[in-house]
Amino acid sequence: MKIFKCNSCDYVSVSSKYTCPQCRTGKLEAQEVSPIGTVFSFTDIHIAPAEFADIAPYTIALIQLDEANVKVTARMDDPVQIGDKADLDKMENGAYLYTKL
Amino acid sequence: MTNVYVHGIGMTQFGTFVDKSMKELLLEACIKALEDAGNPKVDAVYVGNFMGGAIYNQEILGAIVANELGLGFIPTAKVEGACASGGIALRQGIMGILSGEYETVLVAGVEKMKHASTSEVTQAINAAMDNDSNEKQAGLTFPGFFGVLANRYFYETGASKKHLAMVALKNREHALNNPLAQFQKPATLDEIMNARIITNPLGLFDCSPMTDGAAALVISKKKSGVHIRSSAQSSGPTQMQDADDLLSIPAIRESGRLAYEKAGVGPEDIDVVEIHDCFSMTEVLAIEELGFFNKREGWKAVEEGRTKSTGDKPVNTSGGLLSRGHPIGATGIAQIYHLVRQLRGTAPNQVDGARLALAQNLGGTGSYSTVHILERV
Ligand SMILES: [Zn+2]
Repeated sequence: MKIFKCNSCDYVSVSSKYTCPQCRTGKLEAQEVSPIGTVFSFTDIHIAPAEFADIAPYTIALIQLDEANVKVTARMDDPVQIGDKADLDKMENGAYLYTKL
Repeated sequence: MTNVYVHGIGMTQFGTFVDKSMKELLLEACIKALEDAGNPKVDAVYVGNFMGGAIYNQEILGAIVANELGLGFIPTAKVEGACASGGIALRQGIMGILSGEYETVLVAGVEKMKHASTSEVTQAINAAMDNDSNEKQAGLTFPGFFGVLANRYFYETGASKKHLAMVALKNREHALNNPLAQFQKPATLDEIMNARIITNPLGLFDCSPMTDGAAALVISKKKSGVHIRSSAQSSGPTQMQDADDLLSIPAIRESGRLAYEKAGVGPEDIDVVEIHDCFSMTEVLAIEELGFFNKREGWKAVEEGRTKSTGDKPVNTSGGLLSRGHPIGATGIAQIYHLVRQLRGTAPNQVDGARLALAQNLGGTGSYSTVHILERV
């Protein structure tokens, strides 16, 4: 998985930014890390917007990556609990789809 | 400190008004505020509104107010900041006076939501998220963000769904005494706990409703009995995955810190509070971020009844967004309406001798926050 790390402090994010929001001077540089992580929190969405209504209820989890101080928002293929291990299954329409390990 | 005072307040009832137009609601609130202020000359108008363009096909709300009320060729504007549109509109009015450009400003907020279908409104509300992001593409929703926060909050503290229900129950009980509130039927803790799940652990009563309504204020540099001691605003992460601490909403914390600093007071000095309880979970986080209670301990204050109108830090004595209603653009103005009544000594759930009041208005999933501190002088 591609993440972005500041070249002058320890800031990391799953998305790029023009300037580092932590030190405000550094630039973010892309880096590859394993997508494997742990469920930091989650919810099961029962009332969904029209575009996701056909798959509701579905689970959204915030995944803390193992290899970097980065969290990524993902859709899960099954309900999860905090602390569950999870891995990236695929990207679909710009979304990270994770599966429980 | 500002040199700005509140001279007039006006508000429609909040609820469902299928036979009233957005313009009618807006003008009703403005006229009430102008009458309350003794019909002064107005130098500018700011209107907070979020989805008038998207679901009502109506913009130019500032010019409509000036024209319909016969205020002349004065400058006007509509202000958008998602659910903080009202608070930001007020702040624009205050800054217009602070700059020396205006003496007296009419600030209003309005939203008309009940004419549209739930899916149309849900779609429009989602415009308050960063829609060009992996997070949106995964299917995260607005309530979903606060559901994720709530599950982590439960995990890290001793709190449970019951504590969120206690927030919803408190605000429902406060609304029973407020004739302008949307919900005036009592509810029980059981009913709240067992309501339909929206996004777990949040059920129907944990989420603010769709509402029609408007509110307005006349503010001026001429003195009155209610001084706006400070006005502050901050921005925060627009995506959940960018939060340093998931259980913190930095825009609330920072806008609160700035407002206290400018007013020269602290959280311990505040007598009565209106905060942005778009979800029951948000109220618990906000009372922590504003320094009323320790981080991760807001739920204990709720359990002990300290945030009830009879407690030592009364929060949302109007019924809050959860029960007073949440007509998005009007919400930030309605908070001030209610606090001015508290300071005048004429509010529902009146807090004895209230002198300092704080209003906090949130926009997006922590994207914007304003804090205003008012003082009875
Ligand atoms: Zn940096």
